[in-house]
Amino acid sequence: MLFSSIVFLYYFLPCVLLLYFISPKRMKNLVLLSVSLFFYWWGEPKYALLMIFTILLGYGHGILIDKFRGEKTSKVFLISSVSTSIMLLGFFKYADFFTKNTNALFGSSFSLLNFALPIGISFYTFQTLSYTIDVYRGDAKVMKNPITLATYVALFPQLIAGPIVRYTTIEEELNHRTHSLDNFAYGANRFVVGLAKKILIANALGELCEIFRDSGEKSVLFFWVYAIAFSLHIYFDFSGYSDMAIGLGRIFGFHYLENFNYPYVSKSITEFWRRWHISLSTWFRDYIYIPMGGNRVKISRWLFNIIVVWMLTGFWHGAEWNFIVWGLFFALFLILEKLWIGKYLAKAPSVLSRAYVLLLVAVSFVIFNADGMKEAITYISAMFGLQGYPFITDETLYYLRSYAVIIGIAAIGSTPLLKNSVQSLQQHPTARRILNTVEPVVMVSSLLLITAYLVDGSFNPFLYFRF
Amino acid sequence: MNDRTKNKAVTSIFILFFAVSSLLIVLHEQNETSEKERRKLSLLPRPTFENMLSTEYMTDFDKYSLDQFPFRDGFRELKAITQFYVFQQKDNNGIYITKDTVSKIEYPLKGSSVVNAANKLSYIYDSYLADKNTNVFFSIIPDKNYFSAPENGYPAMDYEKLVALMQENIDNMKYINLFDCLSIEDYYVTDTHWRQERLIPVVERIAAEMSFLDRLTEVYTINKFSPFYGVYYGQAALPMAPDTLYYLTASIFDDSRVYNYETGKYTGVYDMNKLDSSDPYEMFLSGAVPLLTIENPKAQTDKELVIFRDSFGSSIAPLFVEAYSKVTLIDIRYITSDYLGSFITFDDQDVLFLYSTLVLNNSALLK
Repeated sequence: MLFSSIVFLYYFLPCVLLLYFISPKRMKNLVLLSVSLFFYWWGEPKYALLMIFTILLGYGHGILIDKFRGEKTSKVFLISSVSTSIMLLGFFKYADFFTKNTNALFGSSFSLLNFALPIGISFYTFQTLSYTIDVYRGDAKVMKNPITLATYVALFPQLIAGPIVRYTTIEEELNHRTHSLDNFAYGANRFVVGLAKKILIANALGELCEIFRDSGEKSVLFFWVYAIAFSLHIYFDFSGYSDMAIGLGRIFGFHYLENFNYPYVSKSITEFWRRWHISLSTWFRDYIYIPMGGNRVKISRWLFNIIVVWMLTGFWHGAEWNFIVWGLFFALFLILEKLWIGKYLAKAPSVLSRAYVLLLVAVSFVIFNADGMKEAITYISAMFGLQGYPFITDETLYYLRSYAVIIGIAAIGSTPLLKNSVQSLQQHPTARRILNTVEPVVMVSSLLLITAYLVDGSFNPFLYFRF
Repeated sequence: MNDRTKNKAVTSIFILFFAVSSLLIVLHEQNETSEKERRKLSLLPRPTFENMLSTEYMTDFDKYSLDQFPFRDGFRELKAITQFYVFQQKDNNGIYITKDTVSKIEYPLKGSSVVNAANKLSYIYDSYLADKNTNVFFSIIPDKNYFSAPENGYPAMDYEKLVALMQENIDNMKYINLFDCLSIEDYYVTDTHWRQERLIPVVERIAAEMSFLDRLTEVYTINKFSPFYGVYYGQAALPMAPDTLYYLTASIFDDSRVYNYETGKYTGVYDMNKLDSSDPYEMFLSGAVPLLTIENPKAQTDKELVIFRDSFGSSIAPLFVEAYSKVTLIDIRYITSDYLGSFITFDDQDVLFLYSTLVLNNSALLK
């Protein structure tokens, strides 16, 4: 079920809010778990059992790791937990990738499994892993109540497209959370903002990307428009989803960490990854990079660590070579920044360092969204005029004009300009009162507009559902 | 408003908005069709064990929830207004509005589809018309974008290439060019179709090429019907003036009989009941019919005409009637061409393949 669907907004959500807030405190987790399982089952009936199995594995391993704490057996159960989770993820997400490449490399003819990717498997697997690893490390207490642990993993706001919520982040709130008017109002606002980002901006930019792909008259300029549109599309799509997840979480009393922090104003790739999909990059940092030694090792090992982590980051996004290359592309520039160009970027004028980041990110997302490496190379070379396309065509001009306002709004919206302006205005009591009056009006208008776009719209996929 | 009051207002509005909307959804009665969009709407699916275990039920329920949303047309209008006037987008769902007309962008040219259409026409020729003493012609009707797109700078298919592809892939038929007989004024503003009362130059061009111009003498009377809400009126979802539908009448039509092979019944050239339907353009020869004949008992010749056509053919075909004793119209979007031999004997007829660019560019429709 998509957050940005009529079924979610007008059938599921009202029922959930009613059920949740009328149920007694001790039943609230059970209500959340039940509706989350229904939410998952609605989108993926076949794989609901797989998710429940993953939760049970995490629960059982947590108990066993804790029971044998201080003994070697505890580590055995940790290894068992990690390997079974990775095996399940590998089987459902990566088996065909390895089969295809084995067949291509050795001329074998192993059959492909052709399984549909279970929705959100990468997210709930990583959440379960974070739980068992944190229990082993002593960073989290073992959860003996299976309902509570299942509620953590299956919680519908972040279940299928993140952010990856660590167990330790909401450990306390799973059993002792408060519900308040302020939390509800903040959550509702944040949810509507995310919904607007997704429906009004991301979907329109997604349409433009589809138009580009179907175009019969591509041009160099159109390739650039596509690269920019997709960069903005994926940001508004994914950060919009994160906003909705954070907002819904807050309504139910959970405080999720931020997943995006205006990544397109970064002045280096290093900074970009501190601001983009923060829950994923910190997960890899804490559970892969640092255990491998991080940067407190000799330089060759350090470089190796970076390459492995970014290769895995790319691979996490999809079982195709272009995702691996996408991850390695960032590894390359992270290494370059750490070893050579970082100091120059720090001294460079902001406009230059930001242009450097935006250029690399736009190119990276062309790789990311390509249908294989061949297409990625063709698109990138076409951006630089190496494929013989004309610089501009009438079609490019038409769609550029048609989407100019949306692109402009998206470009401004991807910076903290609006947020800073509002915060600055809120310092003045009169302006704050006016803003407070305007906010509910904006919310109703947004909800009406969002509904109008949903009722009439046909283009509404969530990019991160495929991960 | 202080922070506390604002939070109360936001919370109340959020809850009220979804509560009231959900209540309206529950109270809303299902509509089977949408007049404005001219389509059947999805109805509440029935749950079964099988469809609940697959995603079939959920997919159908999603469609139902969209189609049966209360005030759906109002929301569509709000979206269109926002799209055009706030976001300054040039089209809404591919509908492009100019001061002269409303069009649906048909782009790009699908070469393989055009070749497929040409092959289908050639197949029919080889199957039924070769060595049958028939005079075979083909002609292409430009859609509105041919005239409107260059003026307004929106993308349109490469029409020259389309014609060239058809000519390259069709042998044994003579091509009749209609592109220079038409202008944007010859089409309805809110509909895809051409206007019957403005087709005389087109009829004369075809008649001249097919050598029956000397058999056309009828004088027609122009009749009106309004308001006529064309297919793009509902799709555009914007307030706009409706068209007036024009149709020609003549004594020859009163004497002619139309036989519908599907219903097995005779009717008139015009089905006036259709003027009250969601698509009044279907008044011409009763709209989408796979196979029909127009019999002209007062014909001065025993010559027959066969037209392979799409919906544009419905309004022009009556204007050929006086030149033939029988005009047969075949729409292979609704009847498989392999079955035609069971209904029609092809021998010593004039044959015209008359298709719009819209159908040629989407020829998977042709059976």
